Amino acid sequence: TLRLICTTTAVQRKNVRASGPEKYTEAFIKKQIEEFNLGKRHLANMMGEDPETFTQEDIDRAIAYLFPSGLFDKQARPMMKHPTEIFPEQRKIQWGEDGRPFHFLFYTGKQSYYSLMHETYEKLLNIQKHQDQLTVQDLPLQKEKRNLAGSRWLSKIELEEMLLEKLSDDDYSRFIQLLQKLVALPCADIEEEYIQKFSKEVPVQLQKVVIEPLQYDERGVAFSTGEGKRKTASATAVVYDNGSGKITVNGTDILHYFPVLQDREQLLFPFQFLGRIGKHDMVCTVSGGGRSAQAGAIRLASAKALRSFVTEKEVEFMRQAGLLTVDPRVKERKKPGQEGPRRKFTWKKR
Amino acid sequence: MAAPSAAGLGRRLRAWLPRIMPVRWSRYDPSYLEPEVNKEFYQKPLEKLTEEEREQMELKAVQPIKAAPPTLSSSVFSDPMISKFTNMMMKSGNKILARSLMSQTLEAIKRKQLEKYHKAPENEKETIECNPYVIFHQALKNCQPIIGISNITKGGKTYQVPVPLTDNRKRFLAMKWLITECRENKHRRTMMPEKLSQELLLAFNNEGPVIKKKHILHKMAEANRAYAHFRWW
Repeated sequence: TLRLICTTTAVQRKNVRASGPEKYTEAFIKKQIEEFNLGKRHLANMMGEDPETFTQEDIDRAIAYLFPSGLFDKQARPMMKHPTEIFPEQRKIQWGEDGRPFHFLFYTGKQSYYSLMHETYEKLLNIQKHQDQLTVQDLPLQKEKRNLAGSRWLSKIELEEMLLEKLSDDDYSRFIQLLQKLVALPCADIEEEYIQKFSKEVPVQLQKVVIEPLQYDERGVAFSTGEGKRKTASATAVVYDNGSGKITVNGTDILHYFPVLQDREQLLFPFQFLGRIGKHDMVCTVSGGGRSAQAGAIRLASAKALRSFVTEKEVEFMRQAGLLTVDPRVKERKKPGQEGPRRKFTWKKR
Repeated sequence: MAAPSAAGLGRRLRAWLPRIMPVRWSRYDPSYLEPEVNKEFYQKPLEKLTEEEREQMELKAVQPIKAAPPTLSSSVFSDPMISKFTNMMMKSGNKILARSLMSQTLEAIKRKQLEKYHKAPENEKETIECNPYVIFHQALKNCQPIIGISNITKGGKTYQVPVPLTDNRKRFLAMKWLITECRENKHRRTMMPEKLSQELLLAFNNEGPVIKKKHILHKMAEANRAYAHFRWW
């Protein structure tokens, strides 16, 4: 006997949201890679270049030449990249034909995260066992401290890419705490390779800015220039040596230009920090912004100019006092539907 | 959070909660550290207190640091507590007025203390404190409550539950009480510096309406001790 199958239109329609992101099979990706390689050779032929030595930069240049686009968003322009860069990496299906999952932690929902935590804890126990063995044999525990300054842990996004699954902030912080605990133990050198998988080098050369040498003007007095910006104000400062502490802004004395005490304090801040108040003369030009922004711009310009007069250690001290960083705070834009950047319109009940 | 009213049947009012939209954010990357302006910190020779400080120095050498704000400076006259108090006293962004009021207050305190100093007999002269900054700090410390009160609703009723306060919260409450006290409970003609200096001197000697307010808060917390277990944090 036949049975009538009654379904509603809601069930017949495809549930787009529940299926998740589009899944690509391995065969599909392989085909895409073949097509890409073939297309690369064709493109090289078209451009008159050698197909064997056609790099990604050449591809980008060729595509930009053949399909010029004035679109603002770079991601929206036509691009030709290797399929692994375009299609996001996805996990293969985690269960076999009988429906039984491969990994024993599949039903936790976050199998790679929990398996990672298990492995790390196993290493921790390993180290503790090793430590106990050493204490039993009365051997000294190694206390070589790792250089913390040169490395950082993987960020949450990088860890997500490594594990191919989403993490929450809480999970991530727990994992980092476990790693820190692992590193803090004295005999952590055994598991050094494992730890290095999760740490990255931080380039110490971040702050390698070239300090310009002093220039000498006609009278033989040493001077140096610096430029600074704050909000919309931009300033240039010329700091002269063998001075009496006179500061001129746009042709007028600072007492007349900055009647407010706070601005004058800001101008003198770099000099006071280095202890060179009466020793330098300064001539500056400033435009744009308001009174406080102009003061901040001149402060940055004078600090940059003073770098040439001072030892490297003092430059580092100035940087740690916040004198050499450009202040990124600017006026926030007004949003549609609101009266200002944060203030909303008056709420009316009816 | 308006519930869908019966009047608007066709439209469904759903508050759009953006996926990633922090309300409090800053233009700096979270990895940027706060600047250290104190000159003596940098003049200490290499034999510092502990190894921790040396490690901290090494870490700081690698990480980027925020720019110092315009209110902060390494001169002896800039004090973070005083700047915070000035900012709280400021109205509609008029920092110039607030700063001048603050300096007039400190001057008034100094004058009053000097008067007392010159009138006092020889043996008491050493006990009188003339430094207005010291008086300000001590007065603030005396005004800070130790325990606070928070409204917790349980089973329909709202209880006043005693709650521990963080340092920042204590400082904020002390400053807020001082300012509101000076703005409201004074004669129409008295100037703010005059009234503030009066309040600060009273607080320095553990007298005055602000200290009384602090004691009332402590008594309330003590009285509601029974509800302390309602707190879940």
